[in-house]
Amino acid sequence: MKTLKLTLATALLAVSALASAEEAVLKVSAIPDEAPTELQRKFAPLGQYLEKELGMKVQFVPVTDYAAVVTALNSDKIDMAWLGGFTFVQASLHGKVVPLVQREEDSKFTAKFIVNTAVGAKSLQDLKGKSFAFGSASSTSGHLMPRYFLQKEGIKPETFFKNVAYSGAHDATVAWVASGKVDAGALNASVWEKLVQSGKVDGSKVKLLATTPPFYDYNWTVRGNLDKKLQARISAAFLKLDPKNPQDKAILDLQRASRFIPTKADNYKGIEAAAEAAGLLK
Amino acid sequence: MLSSHPRDPARWPRLLTLLLCLALLAPSFSLTQFNPATLANPDSWRTMAGFVAGFFPMALQADFLRDVARETLTTLASATAGIALAMLLGAPLAFATSHALQRHVLGGERPARLAGWLASLLRGLMVILRGIPEIVWALLLVRAVGLGSLPAVLAIGLAYGGMLAKVYAEILESQTPGLASALYLQGASRWQCLLYGLWPQALPELLSYSVYRWECAIRASAVMGFVGAGGVGQLLDTSLKMLNGGEVSTLLLVFLLLVSLSEGISLLSRRALASVAATRMLPALGLLAVAASVLWLWPGWRDSGFDTSAIVRFARDFFPPASDMLTEIGHGIVETLAMSGLGSVLAFMAGAVLAMPAAGRFGTAAKWLSRLLLNVLRGVPDLLWASIAVLAVGLGPAAGVLALALHTTGVLGRLFAETLENADPEPELALQQAGAGRLLAFAYGQLPTVFSQWLAYTLYRWENNIRSATVLGIVGAGGLGQQLYLALSLFQQHRAASLIIAMLLLSWAVEQLSRYCRQRMG
Repeated sequence: MKTLKLTLATALLAVSALASAEEAVLKVSAIPDEAPTELQRKFAPLGQYLEKELGMKVQFVPVTDYAAVVTALNSDKIDMAWLGGFTFVQASLHGKVVPLVQREEDSKFTAKFIVNTAVGAKSLQDLKGKSFAFGSASSTSGHLMPRYFLQKEGIKPETFFKNVAYSGAHDATVAWVASGKVDAGALNASVWEKLVQSGKVDGSKVKLLATTPPFYDYNWTVRGNLDKKLQARISAAFLKLDPKNPQDKAILDLQRASRFIPTKADNYKGIEAAAEAAGLLK
Repeated sequence: MLSSHPRDPARWPRLLTLLLCLALLAPSFSLTQFNPATLANPDSWRTMAGFVAGFFPMALQADFLRDVARETLTTLASATAGIALAMLLGAPLAFATSHALQRHVLGGERPARLAGWLASLLRGLMVILRGIPEIVWALLLVRAVGLGSLPAVLAIGLAYGGMLAKVYAEILESQTPGLASALYLQGASRWQCLLYGLWPQALPELLSYSVYRWECAIRASAVMGFVGAGGVGQLLDTSLKMLNGGEVSTLLLVFLLLVSLSEGISLLSRRALASVAATRMLPALGLLAVAASVLWLWPGWRDSGFDTSAIVRFARDFFPPASDMLTEIGHGIVETLAMSGLGSVLAFMAGAVLAMPAAGRFGTAAKWLSRLLLNVLRGVPDLLWASIAVLAVGLGPAAGVLALALHTTGVLGRLFAETLENADPEPELALQQAGAGRLLAFAYGQLPTVFSQWLAYTLYRWENNIRSATVLGIVGAGGLGQQLYLALSLFQQHRAASLIIAMLLLSWAVEQLSRYCRQRMG
C-alpha cells in the first residue's frame, strides 16, 4: 500500500513537470505591508496596464510574510517585487537583484510615531515604560528607520519600553494603538496619511507624536537574471505613466505615487548603514 | 459540644501548603509580568469588550464565506496529506528502531554493534524530528519552500513522523513476542516476522493511534496559517491583526466545528476498529482521503515549485549556530518555564472548580453548561488563545500565561470531571450521612480518592505546556518563540539555529525528566 502511494505521488510529480512548461508569465509580488485584500486591490489596474504594455501575462502572487518575498525573489520564484528599502538591502545581500523604478515620494519618505491619546504623551521621551509596536520586523518605515531614529534620540527600544511588539503591517499598528492593545507605535507616513484622509483614524483615540527625517524607501525590483530587454521594457512602462492622463492617474493614485522615477542601488546605501547601526544585519 | 458543621480540622496545614505553593510561584508572576490586577483593570476590559462587541454581527458575506470554505478544505487536506507523509516516514523508522524487531531480541543472538549504532542514530533523528514543534517546522519550511500549504504538509509530516515512529516502535514492543521470535528461529526474515508475527495483532492499535494523530494534525494544521502556511489560520491571523471582530467570530465558530468534527470522526473510527471488517475498510478510506487531499492541494504546490538547491542553500545558512547569545537564551528559557508553570497551576485551580459542575454535582443544566465551556476552552488551541489574550493583558509573556491557563483548564477540567464520575461515591455519602457538611464531606470523602490522579494529569499537562510555551512567542506572547520569529524575519539564521537548539534541548530534557519521574513513581 505504501508503495502504491509513492508511485501515485511520483506520477503526479511527473505530470506536473510536463504541464509547467507553458507560455511566459511575469510573476509579481509585494511585501505585505498592508492587508492582503488591500494589496490585491491596489495591484489589479497596474497589473492589467503591464500586461498590455509588455504583451505577456502578469500574475500577482500574494505573500503574507516579508522575508518570504525576499527569499522568493532570490530563488527566482518570482520575477519582480515591490520591496521596501530594508527588504531591498536584504535581497541584494542574499543574491543579485536590480532596482528599476521608485515613486517620486520614495526619495524623501518618512515614518510617523503615533500614540494612544489616553497615554497623554507629548514627546518620545514620555513613552518610557509604555508598550510599543513596530510594524513588521522587516519593514523599513515600520521598524528599521523608526528604530534607528529612536536610537539617535538615545532610546534603546528593548529597555526603554515596557514591551516591544511587531504588529506585522502598518494598518495593523494603527488598529492596535487605537484599541489600546499597545500604547504607541511607528508606521509608514503614506499609509498614515491614507488612513487619516479616508477617515479611518479616530482622532479622539490616536494622535501623531513625531515624524522622522526623510530617507529612501520602496522600489520595484527585478531578479538579476531576468532578461535585460524585458527589464528595460518594464522600466519604460512605469516611467511612461503620466499623471495628466486620467487612466494613468487612476493607476498612480492607487500606488499613492505622483509619478515613477528611475532608481539605483546606491540610493539605498543609507538604509544599509542604518540597518548596520541598528544591529539588524548581523 | 459537637456542632453539625465542624470546621475543617486540617484547615491550617492546608492553608500553609497553599501559601507555600504561592510563595514558590511568586517569581513566576514577576518573570511573566502576569498581574491578575490587569484582568480587573477597566481599561483592558473596555478593550476586550469593544473587541468582543465587534464579534456581532458575524461576517457572512458570500465572498468571505467562499474564502472560509476553501481554506477550511485546505486545512483538512493539509492535515490528511501531512499524516500520510508522517506514516510513510514513521513506519520505516519504527521498523528500523523497534526493539521488538532487533535480531538479538528475536533470536537471542549477541547484539551486533553496527546495527546498534545505526538504530541509535535513527533514534536521534527521531528525537530531532519530534523535538522541534510542528509550528516551528512550518515557520522554517515557509522560508525554505515558500508560502502555502506545502510547508504545512511537510511540517506535519516531519514532526508527526518522528512521533509516529516512536509510538509505532513502542506498540510493536508491547505485543507478545512469541510468534515473531518463533518465525525468526524458523528462518524467517525480519520483514516476514513483522508481517506475519507482529502486524496482525498490532494493527488495530497502530491504526487507532494514527487516527488519533490525524485529529491532532487538524488542530495543528488549523493554526499553521499564523506563520503563513495557509488554511483557516491564515484568514484568522489577518482578521485578528486587523481587529475585525465579525470575521474573527465566524472563523472561531468554523474552527470549533472543524475540531469537533475531527474528534467525532476519530472517536467513531477508533470504536469501529473493534470489528475486523472496519480494520480492513479504514485503510482504504484513508487512502481515498489522502488521494482527494493531494488532488485538492496540487494546484497550489505546482505553482510554488519545489527547489531542492534553494532548500540546501537555506539550510546551510544556519551553520555555525551563534555562540554569543547565552544570556538571551537563558532569559527565554526561564520565561518559557515560568509561563508554563504559572499557566498550569492556574489551570489546575480553574479546572478543579469547573470539574464539580461538569461531573454533575450541581444538576443537569450546570453539567451541560460547564461541559460546553470546557469544550470551547479545549477546542481552541493555545496559540490561538495567545493571540486573543494579548488583547486582554497586552503583549508579552503574560498573554502566554493566560493562553496556556485557558486551554489547559479545558483539558484538565474534562479529565478531572471524568475521575470524579468514576470515583467511588460511598465515602463521601457516608460522611454526609454522619452529619458532615457538603464541603467537608467532599474534602475528606472524595478528594483523597482523586487527588493523586489530578496531580498526575497536571504534571503531564505541564510537560506539554513547556513545549507549547516555547512557540507562543510567534504570536507575540514572549519566550523563545518570539526571539526565533524575529531572528528568522531578519535573516539572522545563525541566531535562529541557536534558538532551535535551545528548544530541542529543553524539549529533550523535559522528556527525560518526565520519564525518570514516571519510572520512580510507577
